[in-house]
Amino acid sequence: MDFLWHLIIIFGTWIPSVTTYTLIFGKGKMLHFGPVGVSLFTAYVTILLATATGSSVLGLLGGLCGALLLSALFAWLSLRLEADAFGVMSIAVHLGIIAIILNWSSLTRGALGISRIPRAPFPTSLFLFAMVMTVMSILWILAILAIDRSSFGRQLSALAEHKWHAMSLGIERVRVHFLAFAIGAFSSVLATFSYLHYVGLLHPNDFQFPAFILYVMFVVAGKPGSILGSTLAIILLVLLKEGLRFVPQFLPISVSVIGPLQLILFGLILFGAVWWRRDILFVKQRTI
Amino acid sequence: MQLLVNALIAGSLAALIAGGLALVYGLLGIFNLALGQTVLLGGYATWFLYQELHLPLTVSILGGVLVGILFTALTFEIFVNPFYRLHRFLPLVTTIALSMIFDGIILLLFQSSPKSIVPGLSPIQKIAGASISNEQLLLIGATLILLLLCAYILHATPLGRRIRATVQHEHAAMSLGIPTGFLFRSVFILSEALAAAGGIFIGIDQNLSPTLAFPITIKAYAAIIAGGKGNFWGAILCAYLIALLEQLLIGIHWFGAFYVPAGYQSTVALLFIIVFLLLKPTGLFVTHSRTA
Repeated sequence: MDFLWHLIIIFGTWIPSVTTYTLIFGKGKMLHFGPVGVSLFTAYVTILLATATGSSVLGLLGGLCGALLLSALFAWLSLRLEADAFGVMSIAVHLGIIAIILNWSSLTRGALGISRIPRAPFPTSLFLFAMVMTVMSILWILAILAIDRSSFGRQLSALAEHKWHAMSLGIERVRVHFLAFAIGAFSSVLATFSYLHYVGLLHPNDFQFPAFILYVMFVVAGKPGSILGSTLAIILLVLLKEGLRFVPQFLPISVSVIGPLQLILFGLILFGAVWWRRDILFVKQRTI
Repeated sequence: MQLLVNALIAGSLAALIAGGLALVYGLLGIFNLALGQTVLLGGYATWFLYQELHLPLTVSILGGVLVGILFTALTFEIFVNPFYRLHRFLPLVTTIALSMIFDGIILLLFQSSPKSIVPGLSPIQKIAGASISNEQLLLIGATLILLLLCAYILHATPLGRRIRATVQHEHAAMSLGIPTGFLFRSVFILSEALAAAGGIFIGIDQNLSPTLAFPITIKAYAAIIAGGKGNFWGAILCAYLIALLEQLLIGIHWFGAFYVPAGYQSTVALLFIIVFLLLKPTGLFVTHSRTA
């Protein structure tokens, strides 16, 4: 039974950030490849501030400010650069954050990560934690669905379809981009805080590129722009990911092989998903 | 002087990789995010042929380049060609999938421990007070020859004129009978063969490690974006400038007070480019083309 609660908690740690990423990448067609960088930055700011001040609330507020600032940088980059150049440079920002965390070991403990993160007094059991995560996920999905169906969601779609036409109709591109990335910052704080509280360990390796590729895979496999589709993709693919850990019990393969096999399998799934969704992943503009 | 020589070495490696890619971007308008894996594959294939099969070094290097070419041809036919006509951003996502698949394969076949094609210290030459190994001299020379060859092909041959015409306007070039499909395929494969050669150099001069893939990719594309996307000479100049910036950052005693630790070398250079692009998003050199 504990494994079921564990799975529900893991779903809950993915749902806020991936459903928001669906809004940015899937619906808004912004090639933002740095959501894991935001989560990593948020996690370190939250933990370091909470440790220094002894207050989780201050840590959380600091993490939110950090996430908002970094997201504002991404939004600014997305406005200044062409979409593909923004994609590459957002990976560069992610790389930069990883390098700073790995090298500033006096502050971040470098590649060792930060262990024994104190847990919040509530929820006290695995079951309660799973219930809290379920409620939080449902509320977040409802909120994102409301945003998706609001005028803001339509403005995001319009900008993705044709930037100049949308702007000529009075849609403010700057406001829409900053707002979309700000929602991303909130989701990253929520997801990071619950993940750290559950795992009790902050390690830079958990925020490397395979994590980012999972984001893209959830969005593409679940149908770009579809909140419920990406939620379903999270459930199915996390089940697959967690299930792979049991393979060595049934097949004569070493545990060390599981990591690379997971990379290959998820790469193939992502490729298959792009093949399947190739006509709707990016908006084709009509030409004569 | 040593800083300048180091910048010349690192810049030559980056220029070797970025130059061909700038042409690919100019022709196809796509980014290949599995570039770093192609670089590593060339290096690892050479390491395998030389260290495990004990073939002569020259044969191993040629084998490494050949593996790089085969891998690139496969990349183009499966991960790029079926997609880029639908939307030029699709290969960006398919090559992310490819990078993941090849990261897994590299980890399965070669593990994560660093590999050197020629272990041990190589003979060092002293030039104007700066130390440089024979392999590094060879890299600088080879890059210079390849760049001159590219300059000759691009600016003095019919093939170069066809490439430049296609970069300027694909449909106009097609209407004049230029086989753009053939050009796309050949330039893509040639550029990635150069990248694989860069991987072989890394394996000879330093160590190969799976973690190198993404930083190589991003640094090469940063040079292309900063140079003005699709501008061949802009990308090469920026590759050298980034290398110089990296060397100066860690080699200079700033304000007589502190050194930038070596770990931040590439990070600070990338952040510098990000700030530069925020101020001038078109890069150093903009290629204008007429549109209807």
